[in-house]
Amino acid sequence: MAPPAQSQRSPSPSQPSGKGEVSDLKSQLRQLAGSRAPGIDDSKRELFKKVISYMTVGIDVSSLFGEMVMCSATSDIVLKKMCYLYVGNYAKVNPDLALLTINFLQRDCKDEDPMIRGLALRSLCSLRVANLVEYLVGPLGSGLKDNNNYVRTVAVMGVLKLYHISASTCVDADFPAMLKHSMLNDSDAQVVANCLSALQEIWSSEASSSEEASREREALLSKPVVYYFLNRIKEFSEWAQCLVLELVGKYVPSETSEIFDIMNLLEDRLQHANGAVVLATIKVFLQLTLSMTDVHQQVYERIKAPLLTLVSSGSPEQSYAVLSHLHLLVMRAPFIFSSDYKHFYCQYNEPSYVKKLKLEMLTAVANESNTYEIVTELCEYAANVDIPIARESIRAVGKIALQQYDVNAIVDRLLQFLEMEKDYVTAEALVLVKDLLRKYPQWSQDCIAVVGNISSKNIQEPKAKAALIWMLGEYSQDMHDAPYILESLIENWEDEHSAEVRLHLLTAVMKCFFKRPPETQKALGAALAAGLADFHQDVHDRALFYYRLLQYNVSVAQRVVDPPKQAVSVFADTQSSEIKDRIFDEFNSLSVVYQKPSYMFTDKEHRGPFEFSDELGHLSIGAESTGHASQSSLAIDDLLGLGLPVAPAPAPSPPLLKLNSKAVLDPGTFQQKWRQLPISLSQEYSVSPRGVAALTAPQALLRHMQGHSIHCIASGGQSPNYKFFFFAQKAEESSTFLVECIINTSSAKAQIKIKADDQSASEAFSTLFQSALSEFGLP
Amino acid sequence: MLEKQLTGHRVDRSICAWFWEQAISQGDSFKLQPVIASPTHYLFQVVREGITYLACTQVEMPPLMAIEFLCRVADVLSDYLGGLNEDVIKDNFIIVYELLDEMIDNGFPLTTEPNILREMIAQPNIVSKVLSVVTGNSSNVSETRPGATASCVPWRTTDPKYANNEVYVDLVEEMDATINRDGVLVKCEIYGEVQVNSHLSGLPDLTLSFANTSILDDVRFHPCVRFRPWESNQILSFVPPDGQFKLMSYRVKKLKSTPIYVKPQLTSGGGTCRVDVLVGIRNDPGKTIDSITVQFQLPHCILSADMTSNHGTVNILANKTCLWSIGRIPKDKAPSMSGTLVLETGLERLHVFPTFQVAFRVMGVALSGLQIDKLDLKNLPNRPYKGFRALTRAGEFEVRS
Repeated sequence: MAPPAQSQRSPSPSQPSGKGEVSDLKSQLRQLAGSRAPGIDDSKRELFKKVISYMTVGIDVSSLFGEMVMCSATSDIVLKKMCYLYVGNYAKVNPDLALLTINFLQRDCKDEDPMIRGLALRSLCSLRVANLVEYLVGPLGSGLKDNNNYVRTVAVMGVLKLYHISASTCVDADFPAMLKHSMLNDSDAQVVANCLSALQEIWSSEASSSEEASREREALLSKPVVYYFLNRIKEFSEWAQCLVLELVGKYVPSETSEIFDIMNLLEDRLQHANGAVVLATIKVFLQLTLSMTDVHQQVYERIKAPLLTLVSSGSPEQSYAVLSHLHLLVMRAPFIFSSDYKHFYCQYNEPSYVKKLKLEMLTAVANESNTYEIVTELCEYAANVDIPIARESIRAVGKIALQQYDVNAIVDRLLQFLEMEKDYVTAEALVLVKDLLRKYPQWSQDCIAVVGNISSKNIQEPKAKAALIWMLGEYSQDMHDAPYILESLIENWEDEHSAEVRLHLLTAVMKCFFKRPPETQKALGAALAAGLADFHQDVHDRALFYYRLLQYNVSVAQRVVDPPKQAVSVFADTQSSEIKDRIFDEFNSLSVVYQKPSYMFTDKEHRGPFEFSDELGHLSIGAESTGHASQSSLAIDDLLGLGLPVAPAPAPSPPLLKLNSKAVLDPGTFQQKWRQLPISLSQEYSVSPRGVAALTAPQALLRHMQGHSIHCIASGGQSPNYKFFFFAQKAEESSTFLVECIINTSSAKAQIKIKADDQSASEAFSTLFQSALSEFGLP
Repeated sequence: MLEKQLTGHRVDRSICAWFWEQAISQGDSFKLQPVIASPTHYLFQVVREGITYLACTQVEMPPLMAIEFLCRVADVLSDYLGGLNEDVIKDNFIIVYELLDEMIDNGFPLTTEPNILREMIAQPNIVSKVLSVVTGNSSNVSETRPGATASCVPWRTTDPKYANNEVYVDLVEEMDATINRDGVLVKCEIYGEVQVNSHLSGLPDLTLSFANTSILDDVRFHPCVRFRPWESNQILSFVPPDGQFKLMSYRVKKLKSTPIYVKPQLTSGGGTCRVDVLVGIRNDPGKTIDSITVQFQLPHCILSADMTSNHGTVNILANKTCLWSIGRIPKDKAPSMSGTLVLETGLERLHVFPTFQVAFRVMGVALSGLQIDKLDLKNLPNRPYKGFRALTRAGEFEVRS
């Protein structure tokens, strides 16, 4: 605890400043310090209690340090505990006075009572005063060899604390080796577990600087060590079991039989009362079987029931965390959960974030056999009191419809929504009907009949309005009064605040014009005039474009604006599969709760600016982030070990040009620069056949180029033509390179245009780019 | 007022200030998020009885570990102090510190088993107060060492002694059900726990068997349960911890029927809405069903409500909830509640349909049908008293209209 120093806290009138009380206490403590009268402990205890409670509410009582230490000569264990607590709190701010306490703490470390030995050792290590570390080594050494397990448990943690105060002292005293010895030989499970957690922390932060430490860290994952832990797993406390399971999760078995052995051994852990253990076990199972597809499916089947139980038992906090994991699994393997869809039905008083997750899961598990029931259920939510959820559930119905199951029944439901006369329901349903028609044009007759009855005046939301207008344009030949509705909308052009709606209006009136020219001509003229006068750039440009098209040739304009459309087969997914895989690798971690891979929220550049920063905060952040960096690189290793189609970046031949791997550029600046700069280099490369094959997932190229410090800012296109915009920055200076790269997969050619701030370096950059590209797709 | 103990890396106290600012500015929705991102840390929060427990981390970690731990802390604290509120914590700072000290060290959870903690840190209960007055020894720490940490069954104190050996086994079940607009039972499931209260001397070995384990869908056990006998014969074999604990939890799904029915009927038109709710016994469990209540949230667009019932009392609570307390269903008539809701001016019909939440309790029967076959005790000096009870409550029992 870091009680704020008095100076930082402005004394509020409601809170006693404590000045008077503190000096009172001081004199009382003085009186008691020397006394040996019977019953003195009781009065001391009362005083100490007062001191501690002042400390807790934030009053600075550090001025009592000397007196407290004087009073600490006692055999009463409660007094000792309070004293340790006090000392631990204020030693940091009073390093000089802390020296006073060393003496009595060291004496207590040799007490015959193991409880006192342990407590004293713990307090000694919690002083955190750098210049006192020399006094720690001795007691810690004997603590590790103590014959009482309580003392040993404390000592192991003490070593870790020492490491954080002074890493060199800890390593010099050879503590890691001692820990390793007790980890493998101690009879007490808690000591062993503490050793494991301490060693993991020490070695992973040492690994970056010392060869030996990284070897040791690897050794923790070796077969004998992992098996040693697995065989003892039942002796460990539930928390230690989590730790061991995490270790096992990182272990890569060499044979298939091993995998089954481990799974058999751990199977009963799935029935543990502690959710953390269950989830850790599930992670182990999933990781182990990643490469064995059929067993992996069986694992899903096996873990289903424990997960569902975890969701329904326990506190809302727990069930949300579990639900997030379940959500991840459902998204990966919806068909396995398709018979359990009823578990994802929403309860009335669940918080809406839980409902949202459940709705997504319901959407995912829908298939031929359960669609009807799921949609029936979802339709009940549409009348829900909770409006965001009502909207969300209508969207879910739409998504299920787009998944192609039993569209017939769903269209009916959607059309019922339109008749519900609730504005938000109508709005959501309109958007969905539009998407549905893009995929299933054959339903247009039924939908149009209902949509035609909706008065555009009742629809306020831009998205819904745009959808309605789109349908008016697209199906104007079937909707009797389409031109007149459009006309009235155009009359109210000025009142239309959303540019999106105005854009749609322009396009719709054009389409309508091609189908029913005489009725629409007037409206078109009004729309173009209004559009040309519009202050919004896009609207203005589109109006001008249409105007000139019409001027040029009406039939060409029709081909451009209203070509015959193919039904859309697949709508783009919002989250790339790469990110989903990444999150899956981080199962049983916060990533799942956030639905983002960890680098997106633990890396500094993704985190928001620090609102408060003091010396203390910074120090600990520094210490943590080193530990984390090595962890994340481990995660990448993991990823590669799984044989995912990621090309490991082979060490590039010593580049003449060093690029900044963390370059940032916002799209606006990119566009501006792209317009300003001249093309400094234009080339055509050929792409290796493997590269072409790997381009089926364009994301892979982006990732690959990022490995070479070349970042993508925009990409698009479809087979065979892909277009990418990349950028890169020089390592030392902020000179930027911009690249437009068009890859044609059928001819296996890449056309590159490079623009650079520094023209002279563009040749070198081009070489770098070419070599990076040529490595793409190599195994 | 906050209370915390930091271990491992020091975290500045200002994180709490940040937390409160957020909590106050964002209101209730903030309280529901289990994990919160702050500018420097990730915070886990658990709220129990108005007290917020926070844990922070800066690195990736299993989220459940933190959440489970916080829940455990909350349980242990309320167990120790006999209920929790701000005053109790203020009075017992020392105990709280002592407990946290033993429960977590350097950010790693150590001992959370209440039995072991109780040996290390004495409870501030009446007994110890009396004892301290009598013996003149007011230390609230027991003199014994943590013996159980060394014993082979870590959840059990080494050698408790009781004059009367007793063991009670309770089946406590919660029924979750959803009934849709058409009166169809959409989902009906039971979540149950086997709670044991054991006061047995020495190191007893218990076996508990059920008459019909096949109905269980998924089970979870206390660490004391041996896995093999369950796997082969569906028998629970265990050495129990001392005192009250949760031996097993289970789930039974796809139940066909609920003990009572609730039939709401809403007809609206002309700016009002007529509500009729009928309650009755559908499937008599053989024991009395009591503490029946039906409540629903009045939609926002309702100006006033006038509800009456032929049995029990109807209250409109301050948060616009209509609560109908029925108690037991009388033999001679079916309870019903009826009344009219007046809608906001301009609204013809009611568009949002409230959900009715039903609560009830049935003593003496486990509605899942699970039955205890027998309980055998070994390693005991004299015959103990064995007690069995069962109870079913409504959990999330909701009827849509």
